[in-house]
Amino acid sequence: MASLLRQLARTVRPSLVRNGVCSTSVLYKHTESTEAPGETRPTVRKPDLLARSQLKDFGKYVAECLPKYIQKVQITAGDELELLIVPEGVLPVLQFLKDHHNAQFANITDITALDVPSREYRFELVYNLLSLRFNSRIRVKTYTDELTPIDSACDIYKGANWYEREVWDMYGVFFANHPDLRRILTDYGFEGHPQRKDFPLSGYVEVRYDDEKKRVVVEPLELAQEFRRFELSAPWEQFPNFRNAPPAAEEIKVEEKK
Amino acid sequence: MAGAIKKTTGLTGLAVAKHPHHTLGVLYGKILRTLQKMPEEAAYRKYTEEIICERAEVLKRNSSVEGVEKQIKCGQVEELIVQAENELILARKMLTWKPWEPLLKEAPANQWVWPPAKPPKTG
Repeated sequence: MASLLRQLARTVRPSLVRNGVCSTSVLYKHTESTEAPGETRPTVRKPDLLARSQLKDFGKYVAECLPKYIQKVQITAGDELELLIVPEGVLPVLQFLKDHHNAQFANITDITALDVPSREYRFELVYNLLSLRFNSRIRVKTYTDELTPIDSACDIYKGANWYEREVWDMYGVFFANHPDLRRILTDYGFEGHPQRKDFPLSGYVEVRYDDEKKRVVVEPLELAQEFRRFELSAPWEQFPNFRNAPPAAEEIKVEEKK
Repeated sequence: MAGAIKKTTGLTGLAVAKHPHHTLGVLYGKILRTLQKMPEEAAYRKYTEEIICERAEVLKRNSSVEGVEKQIKCGQVEELIVQAENELILARKMLTWKPWEPLLKEAPANQWVWPPAKPPKTG
Protein backbone atom coordinates (compact mmCIF):
# COMPACT_ATOMS: atom_id res chain seq x y z
CA MET A 1 0.00 0.00 0.00
CA ALA A 2 2.75 2.45 1.01
CA SER A 3 4.76 1.73 -2.11
CA LEU A 4 1.73 2.32 -4.23
CA LEU A 5 1.22 5.73 -2.64
CA ARG A 6 4.88 6.63 -3.14
CA GLN A 7 4.58 5.74 -6.78
CA LEU A 8 1.52 7.93 -7.16
CA ALA A 9 3.26 10.86 -5.50
CA ARG A 10 6.21 10.49 -7.83
CA THR A 11 3.97 10.72 -10.88
CA VAL A 12 1.91 13.63 -9.58
CA ARG A 13 4.69 15.89 -8.26
CA PRO A 14 6.53 16.67 -11.54
CA SER A 15 3.33 17.72 -13.22
CA LEU A 16 2.53 20.16 -10.42
CA VAL A 17 6.00 21.64 -10.44
CA ARG A 18 6.03 21.98 -14.20
CA ASN A 19 2.73 23.76 -14.32
CA GLY A 20 2.55 26.37 -11.56
CA VAL A 21 -0.60 27.96 -12.91
CA CYS A 22 -2.44 24.69 -12.74
CA SER A 23 -1.61 24.13 -9.08
CA THR A 24 -2.75 27.63 -8.06
CA SER A 25 -6.00 27.31 -9.97
CA VAL A 26 -6.69 24.05 -8.20
CA LEU A 27 -6.01 25.74 -4.89
CA TYR A 28 -8.32 28.65 -5.80
CA LYS A 29 -11.14 26.35 -6.77
CA HIS A 30 -10.78 24.50 -3.51
CA THR A 31 -11.12 27.61 -1.32
CA GLU A 32 -14.12 28.78 -3.32
CA SER A 33 -15.98 25.54 -2.85
CA THR A 34 -15.62 25.78 0.93
CA GLU A 35 -17.15 29.25 0.93
CA ALA A 36 -20.30 28.42 -1.00
CA PRO A 37 -21.39 24.83 -0.67
CA GLY A 38 -23.99 23.62 -3.11
CA GLU A 39 -23.71 26.29 -5.78
CA THR A 40 -21.23 25.36 -8.52
CA ARG A 41 -22.74 26.96 -11.62
CA PRO A 42 -20.52 29.89 -12.69
CA THR A 43 -23.38 32.12 -13.84
CA VAL A 44 -25.41 31.83 -10.66
CA ARG A 45 -24.75 34.18 -7.76
CA LYS A 46 -23.26 32.45 -4.73
CA PRO A 47 -25.25 32.81 -1.53
CA ASP A 48 -23.60 35.13 0.98
CA LEU A 49 -24.19 33.26 4.22
CA LEU A 50 -22.70 35.94 6.48
CA ALA A 51 -24.88 38.75 5.13
CA ARG A 52 -27.83 36.42 5.33
CA SER A 53 -27.34 35.58 8.97
CA GLN A 54 -26.91 39.27 9.79
CA LEU A 55 -30.19 40.05 8.04
CA LYS A 56 -31.86 37.25 9.96
CA ASP A 57 -30.60 38.60 13.25
CA PHE A 58 -31.76 42.10 12.39
CA GLY A 59 -35.19 40.80 11.40
CA LYS A 60 -35.52 39.05 14.74
CA TYR A 61 -34.33 42.17 16.54
CA VAL A 62 -36.99 44.36 14.92
CA ALA A 63 -39.69 41.77 15.53
CA GLU A 64 -38.72 41.60 19.19
CA CYS A 65 -38.77 45.38 19.56
CA LEU A 66 -42.14 45.85 17.84
CA PRO A 67 -44.19 42.71 18.55
CA LYS A 68 -47.42 44.72 18.30
CA TYR A 69 -47.08 45.41 14.60
CA ILE A 70 -44.96 42.74 12.94
CA GLN A 71 -46.83 39.72 11.65
CA LYS A 72 -44.05 37.97 9.82
CA VAL A 73 -40.39 38.37 8.93
CA GLN A 74 -39.01 36.75 5.81
CA ILE A 75 -36.02 36.71 3.50
CA THR A 76 -36.69 36.67 -0.23
CA ALA A 77 -34.34 36.17 -3.17
CA GLY A 78 -31.59 35.01 -0.84
CA ASP A 79 -30.65 38.32 0.78
CA GLU A 80 -33.62 40.69 0.92
CA LEU A 81 -35.18 41.21 4.31
CA GLU A 82 -38.94 41.83 4.42
CA LEU A 83 -41.12 42.86 7.34
CA LEU A 84 -44.82 42.10 6.94
CA ILE A 85 -46.80 44.38 9.24
CA VAL A 86 -50.37 45.25 10.21
CA PRO A 87 -51.79 48.30 8.35
CA GLU A 88 -52.06 50.33 11.58
CA GLY A 89 -48.35 49.93 12.21
CA VAL A 90 -46.97 51.74 9.17
CA LEU A 91 -45.97 54.89 11.04
CA PRO A 92 -44.42 53.24 14.14
CA VAL A 93 -42.44 50.74 12.09
CA LEU A 94 -41.13 53.33 9.64
CA GLN A 95 -40.30 55.73 12.47
CA PHE A 96 -38.46 52.98 14.32
CA LEU A 97 -36.49 51.98 11.25
CA LYS A 98 -35.57 55.58 10.56
CA ASP A 99 -34.65 56.81 14.02
CA HIS A 100 -33.38 53.83 15.97
CA HIS A 101 -29.62 53.73 16.55
CA ASN A 102 -29.24 50.23 15.16
CA ALA A 103 -31.38 50.79 12.06
CA GLN A 104 -31.00 54.33 10.67
CA PHE A 105 -32.86 53.66 7.42
CA ALA A 106 -32.92 57.37 6.65
CA ASN A 107 -33.76 57.12 2.94
CA ILE A 108 -36.96 55.99 1.34
CA THR A 109 -36.18 54.59 -2.09
CA ASP A 110 -39.66 53.60 -3.20
CA ILE A 111 -43.27 53.08 -2.27
CA THR A 112 -45.31 50.87 -4.53
CA ALA A 113 -48.31 48.59 -4.43
CA LEU A 114 -49.65 45.48 -6.08
CA ASP A 115 -53.17 44.38 -6.76
CA VAL A 116 -54.31 40.82 -6.07
CA PRO A 117 -58.12 40.83 -6.46
CA SER A 118 -58.59 37.34 -5.03
CA ARG A 119 -57.45 38.42 -1.56
CA GLU A 120 -59.61 39.83 1.18
CA TYR A 121 -57.43 42.95 1.26
CA ARG A 122 -56.60 43.27 -2.40
CA PHE A 123 -53.79 45.84 -2.30
CA GLU A 124 -50.34 45.12 -0.96
CA LEU A 125 -48.24 48.20 -0.13
CA VAL A 126 -44.47 47.96 -0.34
CA TYR A 127 -41.99 50.41 1.23
CA ASN A 128 -38.33 50.11 0.26
CA LEU A 129 -35.85 51.71 2.65
CA LEU A 130 -32.10 52.29 2.50
CA SER A 131 -29.65 52.79 5.33
CA LEU A 132 -26.52 54.63 4.22
CA ARG A 133 -24.95 54.22 7.65
CA PHE A 134 -25.05 50.42 7.62
CA ASN A 135 -25.15 49.98 3.83
CA SER A 136 -28.26 47.86 3.86
CA ARG A 137 -31.79 47.78 2.56
CA ILE A 138 -35.08 46.62 3.96
CA ARG A 139 -38.60 46.19 2.64
CA VAL A 140 -41.77 46.79 4.65
CA LYS A 141 -45.04 45.37 3.38
CA THR A 142 -48.59 45.90 4.49
CA TYR A 143 -52.07 45.49 3.04
CA THR A 144 -55.30 47.42 2.51
CA ASP A 145 -58.42 47.52 0.34
CA GLU A 146 -60.21 50.25 -1.65
CA LEU A 147 -61.90 51.82 1.37
CA THR A 148 -59.42 51.45 4.22
CA PRO A 149 -57.11 54.46 4.48
CA ILE A 150 -53.42 54.00 5.27
CA ASP A 151 -51.52 56.58 7.33
CA SER A 152 -49.34 58.75 5.15
CA ALA A 153 -45.59 58.51 5.77
CA CYS A 154 -44.98 62.10 4.65
CA ASP A 155 -44.25 63.31 8.18
CA ILE A 156 -41.47 60.77 8.54
CA TYR A 157 -40.03 60.73 5.01
CA LYS A 158 -40.38 63.89 2.93
CA GLY A 159 -39.74 61.82 -0.18
CA ALA A 160 -42.84 59.74 0.43
CA ASN A 161 -45.07 62.56 -0.85
CA TRP A 162 -44.88 61.85 -4.57
CA TYR A 163 -44.62 58.09 -4.15
CA GLU A 164 -47.90 58.09 -2.27
CA ARG A 165 -49.50 60.27 -4.90
CA GLU A 166 -48.34 57.76 -7.47
CA VAL A 167 -49.84 54.85 -5.56
CA TRP A 168 -53.07 56.83 -5.14
CA ASP A 169 -53.17 57.56 -8.85
CA MET A 170 -52.36 54.07 -10.05
CA TYR A 171 -54.21 51.94 -7.48
CA GLY A 172 -56.60 54.22 -5.62
CA VAL A 173 -55.19 53.49 -2.18
CA PHE A 174 -56.20 56.39 0.08
CA PHE A 175 -53.52 57.89 2.33
CA ALA A 176 -54.83 59.64 5.42
CA ASN A 177 -53.21 62.95 6.43
CA HIS A 178 -51.39 63.33 3.14
CA PRO A 179 -50.70 67.06 2.52
CA ASP A 180 -51.50 67.02 -1.18
CA LEU A 181 -53.12 63.83 -2.46
CA ARG A 182 -53.71 64.44 -6.20
CA ARG A 183 -53.19 62.55 -9.44
CA ILE A 184 -49.56 62.63 -10.53
CA LEU A 185 -49.10 60.53 -13.68
CA THR A 186 -52.45 60.45 -15.51
CA ASP A 187 -53.96 63.19 -17.67
CA TYR A 188 -56.26 66.02 -16.55
CA GLY A 189 -59.77 64.78 -15.91
CA PHE A 190 -58.71 61.14 -15.95
CA GLU A 191 -61.01 58.74 -14.17
CA GLY A 192 -60.13 55.37 -12.73
CA HIS A 193 -56.92 53.81 -11.49
CA PRO A 194 -55.01 52.23 -14.37
CA GLN A 195 -52.90 49.68 -12.50
CA ARG A 196 -55.88 47.89 -10.99
CA LYS A 197 -56.43 44.45 -12.39
CA ASP A 198 -60.04 45.27 -13.30
CA PHE A 199 -59.06 48.32 -15.38
CA PRO A 200 -59.48 47.44 -19.08
CA LEU A 201 -56.38 47.53 -21.25
CA SER A 202 -58.00 50.04 -23.65
CA GLY A 203 -59.32 52.36 -20.92
CA TYR A 204 -62.87 53.66 -20.68
CA VAL A 205 -62.75 56.73 -22.97
CA GLU A 206 -61.12 57.69 -26.25
CA VAL A 207 -59.93 61.11 -27.38
CA ARG A 208 -60.26 62.30 -30.99
CA TYR A 209 -60.44 65.50 -33.02
CA ASP A 210 -63.97 66.36 -34.14
CA ASP A 211 -64.12 68.21 -37.52
CA GLU A 212 -67.59 69.67 -36.99
CA LYS A 213 -66.99 70.95 -33.49
CA LYS A 214 -63.40 71.96 -34.37
CA ARG A 215 -62.01 70.66 -31.11
CA VAL A 216 -60.79 67.54 -29.36
CA VAL A 217 -63.62 65.51 -27.88
CA VAL A 218 -63.56 62.79 -25.25
CA GLU A 219 -66.03 59.97 -25.86
CA PRO A 220 -66.83 56.69 -24.22
CA LEU A 221 -64.84 53.97 -25.89
CA GLU A 222 -66.46 52.03 -28.73
CA LEU A 223 -64.77 48.72 -29.30
CA ALA A 224 -64.40 48.08 -33.02
CA GLN A 225 -64.33 44.40 -32.31
CA GLU A 226 -66.73 42.40 -30.22
CA PHE A 227 -65.46 41.59 -26.77
CA ARG A 228 -63.61 38.34 -26.80
CA ARG A 229 -62.46 36.23 -23.96
CA PHE A 230 -58.70 36.00 -24.21
CA GLU A 231 -57.39 32.84 -22.62
CA LEU A 232 -53.74 33.56 -22.01
CA SER A 233 -52.69 30.49 -20.08
CA ALA A 234 -50.90 27.90 -22.15
CA PRO A 235 -51.86 24.22 -22.05
CA TRP A 236 -48.29 23.11 -21.37
CA GLU A 237 -46.24 23.59 -18.27
CA GLN A 238 -44.42 26.93 -18.26
CA PHE A 239 -41.23 26.30 -16.30
CA PRO A 240 -40.60 22.57 -15.97
CA ASN A 241 -37.03 23.14 -14.81
CA PHE A 242 -38.30 24.97 -11.74
CA ARG A 243 -40.90 22.43 -10.74
CA ASN A 244 -38.96 21.59 -7.60
CA ALA A 245 -37.51 25.05 -7.00
CA PRO A 246 -37.46 26.16 -3.37
CA PRO A 247 -40.12 28.75 -2.41
CA ALA A 248 -39.20 32.37 -3.09
CA ALA A 249 -39.47 33.49 0.50
CA GLU A 250 -38.01 31.94 3.61
CA GLU A 251 -39.75 32.78 6.84
CA ILE A 252 -37.72 33.69 9.90
CA LYS A 253 -39.24 32.25 13.03
CA VAL A 254 -39.63 34.75 15.83
CA GLU A 255 -39.79 33.34 19.34
CA GLU A 256 -43.06 34.16 21.06
CA LYS A 257 -42.69 35.88 24.40
CA LYS A 258 -44.79 34.43 27.19
CA MET B 1 -10.48 72.70 21.90
CA ALA B 2 -11.27 70.47 18.95
CA GLY B 3 -14.18 72.73 18.09
CA ALA B 4 -11.85 75.66 17.58
CA ILE B 5 -9.69 73.68 15.14
CA LYS B 6 -12.47 71.90 13.29
CA LYS B 7 -13.87 74.16 10.59
CA THR B 8 -16.52 71.93 9.04
CA THR B 9 -18.07 68.50 9.24
CA GLY B 10 -17.97 68.12 5.47
CA LEU B 11 -21.68 67.32 5.47
CA THR B 12 -24.18 69.77 4.01
CA GLY B 13 -26.40 71.41 6.60
CA LEU B 14 -24.54 69.95 9.58
CA ALA B 15 -22.69 72.62 11.53
CA VAL B 16 -19.77 71.92 13.85
CA ALA B 17 -21.01 71.34 17.39
CA LYS B 18 -19.81 73.92 19.94
CA HIS B 19 -20.08 71.81 23.08
CA PRO B 20 -20.47 68.22 21.89
CA HIS B 21 -19.83 66.59 25.26
CA HIS B 22 -22.44 68.65 27.05
CA THR B 23 -25.07 68.28 24.28
CA LEU B 24 -24.60 64.53 24.01
CA GLY B 25 -24.68 64.08 27.77
CA VAL B 26 -27.95 66.00 28.08
CA LEU B 27 -29.53 64.07 25.20
CA TYR B 28 -28.52 60.68 26.58
CA GLY B 29 -29.90 61.65 29.98
CA LYS B 30 -33.21 62.67 28.40
CA ILE B 31 -33.45 59.41 26.44
CA LEU B 32 -32.76 57.33 29.53
CA ARG B 33 -35.39 59.23 31.51
CA THR B 34 -37.93 58.66 28.74
CA LEU B 35 -37.09 54.97 28.67
CA GLN B 36 -37.70 54.75 32.43
CA LYS B 37 -41.42 55.25 31.76
CA MET B 38 -41.63 52.08 29.66
CA PRO B 39 -42.30 48.66 31.20
CA GLU B 40 -39.20 46.78 32.36
CA GLU B 41 -39.59 43.82 30.03
CA ALA B 42 -40.05 45.85 26.83
CA ALA B 43 -37.41 44.76 24.32
CA TYR B 44 -37.15 48.23 22.86
CA ARG B 45 -36.33 49.70 26.28
CA LYS B 46 -33.80 46.95 27.02
CA TYR B 47 -31.85 47.31 23.78
CA THR B 48 -31.97 51.10 23.65
CA GLU B 49 -30.80 51.40 27.25
CA GLU B 50 -27.93 49.09 26.38
CA ILE B 51 -26.83 51.25 23.44
CA ILE B 52 -27.26 54.55 25.26
CA CYS B 53 -25.48 53.40 28.43
CA GLU B 54 -22.57 52.14 26.36
CA ARG B 55 -22.27 55.42 24.50
CA ALA B 56 -22.65 57.48 27.65
CA GLU B 57 -19.89 55.42 29.25
CA VAL B 58 -17.56 56.08 26.30
CA LEU B 59 -18.46 59.76 26.50
CA LYS B 60 -17.56 59.85 30.18
CA ARG B 61 -14.24 58.05 29.71
CA ASN B 62 -12.96 60.24 26.85
CA SER B 63 -12.38 63.93 27.23
CA SER B 64 -11.38 64.40 23.60
CA VAL B 65 -13.87 64.42 20.72
CA GLU B 66 -11.63 62.21 18.58
CA GLY B 67 -11.56 59.53 21.25
CA VAL B 68 -15.35 59.48 21.47
CA GLU B 69 -15.72 59.26 17.70
CA LYS B 70 -13.14 56.50 17.41
CA GLN B 71 -14.63 54.36 20.17
CA ILE B 72 -18.31 54.70 19.24
CA LYS B 73 -17.49 54.20 15.55
CA CYS B 74 -20.72 55.65 14.23
CA GLY B 75 -19.58 58.82 12.49
CA GLN B 76 -18.55 62.29 13.66
CA VAL B 77 -19.75 63.67 16.94
CA GLU B 78 -22.25 65.93 15.15
CA GLU B 79 -23.79 62.85 13.56
CA LEU B 80 -23.92 61.20 16.98
CA ILE B 81 -25.90 64.19 18.22
CA VAL B 82 -28.36 63.86 15.34
CA GLN B 83 -28.75 60.15 16.08
CA ALA B 84 -29.42 60.86 19.74
CA GLU B 85 -31.99 63.53 18.85
CA ASN B 86 -33.77 61.07 16.55
CA GLU B 87 -33.76 58.37 19.22
CA LEU B 88 -35.22 60.82 21.74
CA ILE B 89 -38.09 61.72 19.38
CA LEU B 90 -38.67 58.04 18.67
CA ALA B 91 -38.66 57.09 22.37
CA ARG B 92 -41.22 59.78 23.16
CA LYS B 93 -43.47 58.60 20.34
CA MET B 94 -43.05 55.00 21.45
CA LEU B 95 -44.65 55.93 24.77
CA THR B 96 -47.92 56.66 22.96
CA TRP B 97 -47.64 53.77 20.48
CA LYS B 98 -46.75 51.10 23.06
CA PRO B 99 -45.22 48.66 20.57
CA TRP B 100 -44.37 46.09 23.29
CA GLU B 101 -48.03 44.99 23.47
CA PRO B 102 -49.06 41.73 21.78
CA LEU B 103 -49.84 41.61 18.05
CA LEU B 104 -52.84 43.74 17.05
CA LYS B 105 -54.31 41.21 14.63
CA GLU B 106 -53.21 38.31 12.50
CA ALA B 107 -53.21 38.70 8.73
CA PRO B 108 -56.15 37.06 6.95
CA ALA B 109 -55.33 33.62 5.59
CA ASN B 110 -53.64 33.71 2.19
CA GLN B 111 -52.71 37.39 2.59
CA TRP B 112 -48.98 36.74 2.44
CA VAL B 113 -49.12 33.68 0.18
CA TRP B 114 -47.20 33.93 -3.08
CA PRO B 115 -48.06 32.94 -5.79
CA PRO B 116 -51.58 34.08 -4.83
CA ALA B 117 -53.94 31.35 -3.73
CA LYS B 118 -56.86 30.68 -6.03
CA PRO B 119 -60.23 31.92 -4.69
CA PRO B 120 -62.63 29.14 -3.71
CA LYS B 121 -64.90 28.31 -6.64
CA THR B 122 -68.57 29.20 -6.16
CA GLY B 123 -71.27 27.22 -7.95
